[in-house]
Amino acid sequence: MKKRIAALTVALSLSMFGAAAVCAEASATAAAPQVAAPAAAVSPAAAPASAAASQVAAPAASVAAKAAVAPAKGGAAPAKITPNRGITIGMFALIIAVTMGVVIWAAKKTQTASDFYTAGGGITGFQNGWAIAGDYMSAASFLGMSGLISLYGIDGFMYAVGPMFSFIAILLVIAEPCRNAGKYTLGDILCFRSSPKVVRGVAALSTVTVSIFYLIAQMVGAGKLMQMLLNIPYRVSVIGVGALMVAYVVFGGMKATTWVQIIKASLLMGATTVLCLLVAIKAGFNPVRFFTDVVSNGAIQEHVRMNVLKDVIAKPGVDYGQRFLEPGLFLKNPLDQISLGLAWALGAAGLPHILMRFFTVPSAKDARKSIIVALFLNSSFFFMISVIGFGAALYLTPQAISAVDKGGNMATLLLAQHMGGGAGSLGGDIFLAFICAVAFATILAVVSGLVLAASAAIAHDVYVNIIKDGKADQQLQVKVARITSLFVGTSAIVMGLMAEKENVVALVALAFAVAASGNFPVIMLSLFWRKFNTAGIVSGLVVGTISALTLVMVSPVMTYPKKIAADAKKVVETLEKKQAGGTVLAEKEVQALEKSRTEYVKNKDGKSMVGLDAPIFPLKNPGIVSVPLGFLAAVFGCLLFRERRAEEMFDEIDVRQNTGIGITSAADH
Amino acid sequence: MSDKQQWEAIANHSKFIELKRKKRNFLFTWWIISTIYYLLLPVISGYFPEAFRIKVIGPINFGYLFILSQFVMAIGVAIYYAHVANKTFDRLTKQLLEALQ
Repeated sequence: MKKRIAALTVALSLSMFGAAAVCAEASATAAAPQVAAPAAAVSPAAAPASAAASQVAAPAASVAAKAAVAPAKGGAAPAKITPNRGITIGMFALIIAVTMGVVIWAAKKTQTASDFYTAGGGITGFQNGWAIAGDYMSAASFLGMSGLISLYGIDGFMYAVGPMFSFIAILLVIAEPCRNAGKYTLGDILCFRSSPKVVRGVAALSTVTVSIFYLIAQMVGAGKLMQMLLNIPYRVSVIGVGALMVAYVVFGGMKATTWVQIIKASLLMGATTVLCLLVAIKAGFNPVRFFTDVVSNGAIQEHVRMNVLKDVIAKPGVDYGQRFLEPGLFLKNPLDQISLGLAWALGAAGLPHILMRFFTVPSAKDARKSIIVALFLNSSFFFMISVIGFGAALYLTPQAISAVDKGGNMATLLLAQHMGGGAGSLGGDIFLAFICAVAFATILAVVSGLVLAASAAIAHDVYVNIIKDGKADQQLQVKVARITSLFVGTSAIVMGLMAEKENVVALVALAFAVAASGNFPVIMLSLFWRKFNTAGIVSGLVVGTISALTLVMVSPVMTYPKKIAADAKKVVETLEKKQAGGTVLAEKEVQALEKSRTEYVKNKDGKSMVGLDAPIFPLKNPGIVSVPLGFLAAVFGCLLFRERRAEEMFDEIDVRQNTGIGITSAADH
Repeated sequence: MSDKQQWEAIANHSKFIELKRKKRNFLFTWWIISTIYYLLLPVISGYFPEAFRIKVIGPINFGYLFILSQFVMAIGVAIYYAHVANKTFDRLTKQLLEALQ
């Protein structure tokens, strides 16, 4: 059996890799690959990058055209980034080989349900800290955030604070109590003193919703990223990433997922540290000199004046360089920022795949240690990313960065190439290939954790505890968990393929809003409030989730065809006026005109997904409204239907969560 | 004793009450303080941006330093919590477990 698993894993990985390589070669010769703004959509921090990332896929030629039309004159910029194919594919293969080795090792050690879901509680606090940190170091923060900083200065850096601070709520009120009172899933924590079947059902639904939204966003981001970096067709990338993800989870369970995450986090930390050090050396380790260079850089000044603030004639008394270090270039609505801040501070603590990580360590003390390690790692990571972002702006110029990708997502990659010796040099090629491979590993690790969380909710909560009344032997449980993972993974691939043109930023916003407004209030109240009961859990989860969903559906993050049509119309009118004025349009402008015309016709009668012309709710992040709603619903629901048993059983959960008495550990199985 | 009575007995144990009170006071106080400090960032940058523009060292302004201070604050709270938890909470838990045996 074990051998068969190992053989299958290897075969699966090899065939998928072979297919990817062949298709990659084929597409290399194909004309004009589709280019879109990818990495920004790849994770939690994606919501921020949304505005910068254009959602419409456009032929490479027209992206280049836009860059040329843009008023930027910051020197001739290479409009594409071309990693060395051989070196890059070699590095990808190395990562796949190493992680597959991990899977084979982990598969041998995965015998029980506890092994599968929580690695038997055998992960140390230090290791778990790296794995949690890895969950936060996504392609969006690695590529998207540095890009945002390189184009919008300090506003991009401000985005790093939310993910970093989210550890405080987790450390103080979530991690240890959950470790003490829980077992595998959100349902385990919530159903303690309530009607287990109802609560498990609702909790599983919420877990699957959050994880799947998040997962689809990651899959789409992965597909677009691979397409942009290596010209691998979208479908091949999604299927390839999906196949690897399924192999990791189905065979290796939590142990493989954790180690893939740890490997990826160390690679990412290593790459970031080297890049940051190179910038620091160039700046002479002198932050004052570094920032003086940034604000007095002519290209940055012009970028802020022309591209961001759109002051064609410089306003007297405005220091456009210094403006780069001042807030308000990217973030315009203060209320939206507060709302996003709230979603981060509470939402991360309600994400099922993060919650699940606390069960992999043997005790609450280890859970505490893992959060502190993760906080240290992520704080230094985000700080280094800010140095990389400002360094990219200074040494590459924002114009050159946005010429390659409008959202700035390629800033880190371009900087790596530049610092390694420039395009075409061996050092540049190797460093760039390494960073591409790290970005690839990042996606793989994050999606695996999500598949595992969703599968645990279905297999453990729904199948074992609702359908089978908790009566299933270990072998059956593991088998069901594996089949469920295969099913969840396959569905994610299919949905990823269908969602190619979807607005993935909205999906991430959704996942976070649901976690903050639905999951977080009920977890808190279950752990700390004596009167809390079944009715409270159900009403809190339902109202929190539905209000968050509804508000996102009518918010500005959705796609509004009428708005796209209006923008296209503006381009058409400008260019037609120019034509009427007697100017002969350049070839690129003719193309842009054609494209805008078709876009206008396609979108002018369209409506958003829920049939709207324009957003009703003004904020991109519903947290500020939906979190209080979730809390209120939970409190009212519980007071309306008092439950004596739940109140009497509070003593048990209170003692358990505070002391760890009766903790569920690997030894109990 | 039934299961329920056993849990009740622990819940009413003087050591447990002491542990719970100390933990709650500490955790919620620091959680609220740090969250207020954290939310000051979007509030100041959104509603009082001129405060962030004040230059402190060369071109480095208050805004940049305030963002850095968020990192320092979070790490500080985490280290302080680890210190208190290791010293007080873990010791009280151990004493309670010993008293129960």
